[in-house]
Amino acid sequence: MQQGTGGSDTEVTWEDQQNINKFGRLNNRFHELEDEIKIAKETNDNLEDASNELILTDEEVVRFQMGEVFAHVPKEEVETRIEEMKEVTSKNLEKLEEEKESVLAQMAELKKILYGKFKDSINLEED
Amino acid sequence: MAAASSSSTSPKTTTERRGIPGAQFVEDVETYLSQTGLDVNSALAFLQERLQQYKLVEMKLLAQQRDLQAKIPDIEKCLDVVATLQAKKGTGEALIADFEVSEGIYSRARIEDSDSVCLWLGANVMLEYSCEEATSLLKKNLENAKASLEVLIADLQFLRDQVTITQVTIARVYNWDVHQRRIRQAAATPTA
Repeated sequence: MQQGTGGSDTEVTWEDQQNINKFGRLNNRFHELEDEIKIAKETNDNLEDASNELILTDEEVVRFQMGEVFAHVPKEEVETRIEEMKEVTSKNLEKLEEEKESVLAQMAELKKILYGKFKDSINLEED
Repeated sequence: MAAASSSSTSPKTTTERRGIPGAQFVEDVETYLSQTGLDVNSALAFLQERLQQYKLVEMKLLAQQRDLQAKIPDIEKCLDVVATLQAKKGTGEALIADFEVSEGIYSRARIEDSDSVCLWLGANVMLEYSCEEATSLLKKNLENAKASLEVLIADLQFLRDQVTITQVTIARVYNWDVHQRRIRQAAATPTA
């Protein structure tokens, strides 16, 4: 995001500055959210693959990673654990997506206001 | 949270937050230049230097944030392991686990029922705790880490605002200078 680069005479009020600051913060948060959503999606996929593998395996005891070691855990318990983990991850993913929508909406609002006042003097696009 | 207003006119200047100086918002470029007694180039140089300082602090804070963000899942994993050990305690069966001896080489361990665990505290120190004490210590560490992370994120937001204000001020001072030059040129041409 670049700040005003035109040579116009539009004055920048404190309110404008606060809007610009808020846009900057939202933009940063947007990028952080994109990264977090990517990680959450990967975790979700991994859990999906793991639970599919579980269905196919005929071993009774599965090595389940806890911390740095692999504990021998009976298959049913592993299934339950993976279900719980999937619940947590999907809820987290949902929350992140919601926050992303809200951030995008706020950014669109601010863009309207700032472009309205500064027109060409300000650039709010990704470089 | 330090958000003290400066002694001058407006509530628009935040003096500082935890050692980070606040960027002064400029109402009018001309007044700002005459107040500080700087000419355009010195003002631009000063603002650029401020920007560099902010960037340095930002890198430091980002590094701290990354550390904290790595530490939190670690503590959560430890809590999980202690909880599993506690759960196993009731059943009387031992926990069998495969652990890494060296890269690519694993060995099997048999963990009997135990009332205590050892926690690594850092600085080559490890202490033995009962399961309950361990859980509460780990929970406390987790709370502290999360709280520190929140404060850090707020610091970063404040810092980024100051960076934005400084960048906008630089652009405005520069534009004002260009504008002044144009006026001077326009005034000079009729006589040429």
